[in-house]
Amino acid sequence: MKIIRKNLLAGAFLLTSLAAADAHAQLESANPRVGSIVSAAPSVLTLNFSEGVEPAFSTVQVTDAAGRRADAGKPRVNGRVVLVPLRPLAPGQYTVRWRVLSVDTHTTEGSFGFEVRP
Amino acid sequence: MSPIAFWGAVRQGIPRPFLPATAAALVLTVFNLVGTSPAMAHCFAGSRFFPAMLTTDDPCVADELSLPTISGFKTGDIPANRELDISAEFSKRITEDFGVSIGRTYTRLWVPGGPNASGWQNLETTFKYQFLTWPQSEFVLSAGVSVEWGRTGNASVGAEKFHTITPMLWVGKGMGDLPSSFGALRAFAATGQVGYAIPSWRRTVTITSIDFDTGEVDFDEERHPHFLQYGGSIQFSMPYLKANVIDLGLPDVFNRMVPLVEASFRTPVANTIQMANTWDENNRTIGTVNPGIIYVADKFQIGAEAIIPINRASGKGIGWVAQLHFFLDDIFPTTVGRPIIPISARLGP
Repeated sequence: MKIIRKNLLAGAFLLTSLAAADAHAQLESANPRVGSIVSAAPSVLTLNFSEGVEPAFSTVQVTDAAGRRADAGKPRVNGRVVLVPLRPLAPGQYTVRWRVLSVDTHTTEGSFGFEVRP
Repeated sequence: MSPIAFWGAVRQGIPRPFLPATAAALVLTVFNLVGTSPAMAHCFAGSRFFPAMLTTDDPCVADELSLPTISGFKTGDIPANRELDISAEFSKRITEDFGVSIGRTYTRLWVPGGPNASGWQNLETTFKYQFLTWPQSEFVLSAGVSVEWGRTGNASVGAEKFHTITPMLWVGKGMGDLPSSFGALRAFAATGQVGYAIPSWRRTVTITSIDFDTGEVDFDEERHPHFLQYGGSIQFSMPYLKANVIDLGLPDVFNRMVPLVEASFRTPVANTIQMANTWDENNRTIGTVNPGIIYVADKFQIGAEAIIPINRASGKGIGWVAQLHFFLDDIFPTTVGRPIIPISARLGP
């Protein structure tokens, strides 16, 4: 059927365009892992994104259960990886809030928790 | 997909959208070659991403393309016709918060014992204003109007000669703002839409015979009711679960899935005819409940759903719908994937 052929052609055009474009930067993984319980307090939080992010417009905050900042200094960005130095973490719950601008100017954000339990 | 699909769809069991595919490809090619500048997102509210759906519409204004949406089902007629719909829908942001969608559907009908038919359904357009976005509550509210343009399709497949104007509201709410003790429940989200469909003709009168001796004229009168159209979805976002609640270490393919159940209904509320024991779709609530799954990649998504009619007037047996959907703001971020006028008049923090 003609209509199916036309749809397939247009779809093929779009599929060929996919490789050249960047997408929203999504959080692919984190260390400590999202929602995890770790026995040893980490000194650095690592966030791996699906796209490269812009350091100047990307922020990460780590807070303890009382809302006190637990991150120490500005995040370091290396392509898709964001490294956040942490203060010495006492046992307890921590919340990570991140907001990043991907290299193609899309903004994404998210938050998650982890727990330090020796 | 969008609500465009909803009405023609519910009438005979399913959704439909869009523009001729080749025209869309040509437009995209042209936009791909010119222009520059930044773009915002598809349907995000804070951490929450609402995927484009197959039967109802997501609550956001976005640059996206559903091409194609294909569905197969049996209609509510007695005996039931077998119908295949191939449709497409192109959505374009005019500003950051205001957008237009154009949808078109090609229908193939197999009629038991009768001649088969094929042709275009009426052209449909939707104008939508996303006036409230509350990121922390993962809440989105939009309003707009959908128009089905009469006489733009083929009567042989049921396209009407009159226009239908439907003021609509769309809403989306993620559960991510629940306390962390709710655990995986925070990955749930719900969407909804409601509209009031007003046909431009109250009725169609057809002369069936004329007795030239007596001067008597026989005619049929078909009323065109006003309909309340409503529907929505409940969805569980594996991407949200992984990035915001708990990373279970599942393979990436599972972390990109959004299982969901969509539902869409239509109830006549005015200009109806009270008739007992009728299957007539214009005199009772019809609709479908569609369980399915959407796989969300970085720049496109693929979805499939079963179509379960709620009664015999809504269809016969279980149908299906599948869709390939492109995020144009990611594929063409500096051209067709950005608002024509990059201004925002959105409410919310």
